[in-house]
Amino acid sequence: MRRWLFGALTAFGAVVVILPVTGQAQAFYRPDTPKFPQARSWVAQRAKLPPYRAPRTPDGVPDLQGNWNGPVGGGNDDLEEHAYIDVTTPPQESYVSDPPDGKVPYQPWALARRNEIRAGLARGWPGETGQRLYTDPSSLCTNGMPRLGFGGQEIIQKQGYVLLLTANTYRVIPTDGRAALGESAKFFFGVSRGRWEGETLVVNVTGLNGETWIDSAGNFIGPNTHLTERWTRVEPNTIDYVMTVEDPTIYTRPWTMTYPKRRTGTGPGGNAGAITNAVAAAAGVARAADPYAKEVWENTCLEGNQDNVVLLKKLGFKWFDAVTPPK
Amino acid sequence: MKRRFAGLSGVLAAVVMLAPLPVAAQAGATYTPPRTREGQPDLQGIWQVLNTAAWDLQDHGATLGVPAGRGVVEGNEIPYRPEALAKKQENFKNRQQLDPENRCILPGVPRVTYMPYPFRIVQQADKVTILHEYSRIIRYVYMNGNPHPEGPIDWFMGDSRGRWEGNSLVVDAIHFNDATWFDRAGNYHSDALHLVERFTPTGPDHLLYEVTVEDPKVFTRPWKISMPLYRRQEKDIELLEYECGTYLLKQEWQKPDSPLFNQP
Repeated sequence: MRRWLFGALTAFGAVVVILPVTGQAQAFYRPDTPKFPQARSWVAQRAKLPPYRAPRTPDGVPDLQGNWNGPVGGGNDDLEEHAYIDVTTPPQESYVSDPPDGKVPYQPWALARRNEIRAGLARGWPGETGQRLYTDPSSLCTNGMPRLGFGGQEIIQKQGYVLLLTANTYRVIPTDGRAALGESAKFFFGVSRGRWEGETLVVNVTGLNGETWIDSAGNFIGPNTHLTERWTRVEPNTIDYVMTVEDPTIYTRPWTMTYPKRRTGTGPGGNAGAITNAVAAAAGVARAADPYAKEVWENTCLEGNQDNVVLLKKLGFKWFDAVTPPK
Repeated sequence: MKRRFAGLSGVLAAVVMLAPLPVAAQAGATYTPPRTREGQPDLQGIWQVLNTAAWDLQDHGATLGVPAGRGVVEGNEIPYRPEALAKKQENFKNRQQLDPENRCILPGVPRVTYMPYPFRIVQQADKVTILHEYSRIIRYVYMNGNPHPEGPIDWFMGDSRGRWEGNSLVVDAIHFNDATWFDRAGNYHSDALHLVERFTPTGPDHLLYEVTVEDPKVFTRPWKISMPLYRRQEKDIELLEYECGTYLLKQEWQKPDSPLFNQP
C-alpha cells in the first residue's frame, strides 16, 4: 500500500504533492521510463515455468512464509494499461489478465461512474474536468481490500491461520474452515477465509463495504463484491498472485488481476511489507548494513495527516461512499 | 494462583501436604505453559482485559457511560510531581477535547493493551507481534538481540525490546512521544516514558500483565499497574475491525464547523 498521496489541484492550479506522513521511498519517473510489465508479461513468463512443489511447513501445507514485495513500477495508481502520466505514474501494463483486453468489464452505468470519478480527481491527469469530486480514499488514510492485495507483506503461517503483515496494517486469514460472518456485517477489509488447494492458498473475501477504491484512479468495487485470491509459490522466490473480482451488480463478468510477488531482496518490486522505514531516515539512523534493516519501525498515517485532511476538505472534495448500483 | 493453606487445621494441612503435588506447585505454585516449536513459553492467542482501566487507572465511581471500577495502580496513587498533577487535572476537565483517543491517533502503550478490544499475540523466534483489533495496530516486540536504537526517537507506540525471564515475556519500551495518555481520565506521560511490561501466564487462559512506569519528568518515582488478561473463549473468536480514523473522518466530513478542519 502506498502511503504517498498525490494529486489535489490547489486554487492556483499547481499540482500539490500531498506529502506522506511516513512511508516507503517513492520513486520519481521520467517520461522516457520503459513500460512496466504487469499481467500480460507475467502470464507469458509464467507459462514457461517448470512445475514447482513448495517446501512444506510442519503442518504439511506449502510454505509461503517470508517477506514478499508488491508489484514493480508505479504501484496501483491506475490498474489498467496506461502511458506515462506524471512523475509518480510511469507507463505500465494492465494488472488485468482477464478479460484479455486488460480492461475492467464494467456495466455501462458503472463505467460512466468510474469515468465521472476519474474526471473529478483534480490531479492533473488527462481527461479531467478540473472539478473536484472525490479524492483517493487512501489519501485520508483509509485502508482496505482489494487494494491491500497490491502491497508486499510478511507472510506468517500458524496452525489455523495465515497472517499477512504490511508496514502498518495486517490481515488474518483463518484456514480452519470456519464460516464467514452474516452478510449484514461489512468491513473495509472484508472477511477472509482461506483453504489450501494443492500448491495454492485460496482466499475468499466477502463482507466488503465497497468504500475503498482498487487504485487511485477511481476504479471501484461495491458492497456486493466477492474476491477470490490465489497465492501459489511457483518458484522458490516467486509467488504468483491472482485475484478474481466478482460482482454481477457492477461488472458484466468476473475479472482477474495477476502479478508476481518476489521474495524481498531477490527480485524486482516495491512496497515490501516488512522492510520499510522513512521514520528511520527521519531519525537519522543509517540503514545501510545496519542490524535494524529487517525491523519494521513505526508507520503512522492519520497522526500526521491533519494538514492534508484540512486541505482536501477546503478544496471541496466529497466523502466517497460505496457506489450504489441502479435498481 | 497461589495455594493458600492458612486457615486449614493442622490435620487437614498434613493430609494436603502428603498428597502428591504437581512439580509446578512445589516450585512456588507457578503455572507451566506449553512451549512453541521454538521452545518459548506459548502466550499465543486472542486476549482481552475485563476491567475499567481504559476509563481510569485509579479507583473511580460511575458517571454516564463510565462504569465504576477498582483501579489497577498498585496502592492506587499515581505519584505525580505537583505541577504534573495540575496538568492531569486540566486534562480531566477538558478530556472531551484533549483525549487523544477522540482523535483516533495511535493510543500508545500501555493504553492499547487495556482498551476494550481484543488483541492477538503471535510468536516467532526473533519477535513477538501483537495485533490489535483497534485500528489494526501492529506492535512489534523485537527479541533479535538488537538493543533499543539510538534516539532521540519519538514514537506513539515506542520501541519495544523483549526477553524471556522464566515463563514471562518481559518488554522494555522507550522512545515514546508525549502525545498519548494512559486513560480517558487524563493520566498522561512525557517523552521520557520508560516502561517495563511483564506478561506472565498464570493458567491456560490467563496472563498476568504488569507494567512498571517510569517518567521522571512527570512522576516522582516509578509506579506499577497490574491486571489479568483473559483468553477469549468463543469458539470462532477472531479479530474483526475498528477503523477509528476513517469512521471519525466520515462523520466529521459532513460538518462544516467540525474542529477537525478548523483547528487554530
